[in-house]
Amino acid sequence: MRVRQTAGVLLASPWILTFLAFWLFPLIYSLFLSLTDYRLLQPTYSWVGFQNFINLFSDTIFLNSLKNTFIFVFGAIPVTTIISLIMALLLDKSFRGRTLFRSGFFMPSITSMVVIALIFTNLYSRGGYIFLLAQMAGFSPPGNGFLLSNKTALLSIMAMDVWMSVGYYMLLFLAGLKSIPIELYEAADVAGAGRWRKFYSITLPLLKPVTLFIIVINTIKSFQVFIEIFVMTQGKYNSSSAVYFIYELGLNRFEFGYASAAAYLLFMIIAIFSFIQFKLMKQG
Amino acid sequence: MRAVKYIILSIILLIMIFPLLWMFRISLLPANIEGTLANFFSSYFTLISYLDLFHSGNMLIYLFNSFFVGLVVTLGNILFCFMVGYAFSRHAFIGKSFWFYSVIFVLMLPAHIVILPLYLLIYKAGMYDTYWALILPFLVNPIGIFLVKQYVDSLPRSMEEAARIDGAGEMTILLRVVMPLCKPALAVLAIQSFMTNWNSFLFPLILTGSKSVRTLPVGLALYQGHQAIDWPHLMAGSSLAVIPILVVFLLCQKHIISGITAGAIKQ
Repeated sequence: MRVRQTAGVLLASPWILTFLAFWLFPLIYSLFLSLTDYRLLQPTYSWVGFQNFINLFSDTIFLNSLKNTFIFVFGAIPVTTIISLIMALLLDKSFRGRTLFRSGFFMPSITSMVVIALIFTNLYSRGGYIFLLAQMAGFSPPGNGFLLSNKTALLSIMAMDVWMSVGYYMLLFLAGLKSIPIELYEAADVAGAGRWRKFYSITLPLLKPVTLFIIVINTIKSFQVFIEIFVMTQGKYNSSSAVYFIYELGLNRFEFGYASAAAYLLFMIIAIFSFIQFKLMKQG
Repeated sequence: MRAVKYIILSIILLIMIFPLLWMFRISLLPANIEGTLANFFSSYFTLISYLDLFHSGNMLIYLFNSFFVGLVVTLGNILFCFMVGYAFSRHAFIGKSFWFYSVIFVLMLPAHIVILPLYLLIYKAGMYDTYWALILPFLVNPIGIFLVKQYVDSLPRSMEEAARIDGAGEMTILLRVVMPLCKPALAVLAIQSFMTNWNSFLFPLILTGSKSVRTLPVGLALYQGHQAIDWPHLMAGSSLAVIPILVVFLLCQKHIISGITAGAIKQ
């Protein structure tokens, strides 16, 4: 048994080392940094306690990027969830061409975010086809394109994000739909229930766990929105997000202490939201 | 009713794939032709943008880096996630449940929290702007461990026990008996880690600084930013980033989809 003990630790050691070096140590290190005024290019630094956190709450640039992040999370997630559910319902039953549609819908999700962001930078620009479509539909898009306007930049990025991720969540909904026992529908048929009745009384309640799961992972992901903003607007036109703020401050201005405090604050916000959602999941 | 459904589905399909078609189409336009809807259906076709990219060199380096890093990380994931996942499934060792919780913890952890300290760590360890920075932290990942553990859990122990009675050592059992049985799970794992790594952006962005180790997504993202965007070349580079993923996807669709849904349903 002694030998088996050692063998277990040895086999697990790649993870143990990776976890300690690249996850746990950075986590503790950045907590330490967040309590100092450490700057990368300065040799000395001092302990500032919670001053960084206090400063964040009066930093309008940070607060604005946090506000944008919340708009992103609360605006995009409901739309993404509803559209992906509708797509899953359309593809639930087997029919000719189903696999083709499913693959096509899913394709944007496996494409690099950078590439998607580049393509949409073109589509949203003045003369790009989304710009032209909006004109044809009778709207008057901002003169320099959707991304170069304070009013539409963030909204356009959100719309792109919904477009990109619905296929992925559709797959999760499809798996959820598949796990509903067919007998329930048969029993409902016997009882003479109509389509809508079956949808409201069977499908929706039984999809609750997968729906909550989708919302949880999408929340964690959306709070960290960064790549789209880095590629499409560089945080300009009122589109900066919390992670973009952290990146800018840390890796362009080397304010590691202050940026780490912002990172921890965002981390705590995400933790609180995940905690609440897990509680809801347990109840359901 | 049926026709209506097909029409709705076709409209959605068009919306979902048109941007990708647009990218391919623009990459095939000559530099002086504007990427407009009219030119989308025009007869202008040229491979000049692709040839330019191969001649100018940088994009070729990024492409090589993406392939090289993707390959090494994928091989590492296959070996190490297999080892760790197997240990969590079959072995008893001190702190096992703690280490397993650490896997779940990292699985849920928002990655933004480690970017600054990881940058400092890599910088101080002298690995900044080297392949090591793009490989070492990612050789084993929580999703892979989870996948392997679940799969080994579902395997009967009888084969391993028979081998043990025959006097086979732990290493032999691991590599000759269990690993072949785990092929389906390892295939899913390999495809997933290659695709994730190929599209990875945030970590390569912060951990590299020069063109020599930059991966393709980072190279593309930093390609623009000069005054006027050179769309045909940018879209040709983007196509190069998309084509390998599309090929993998079309060949291994079943594996990819089962990998995604297996993880989700278990939660």
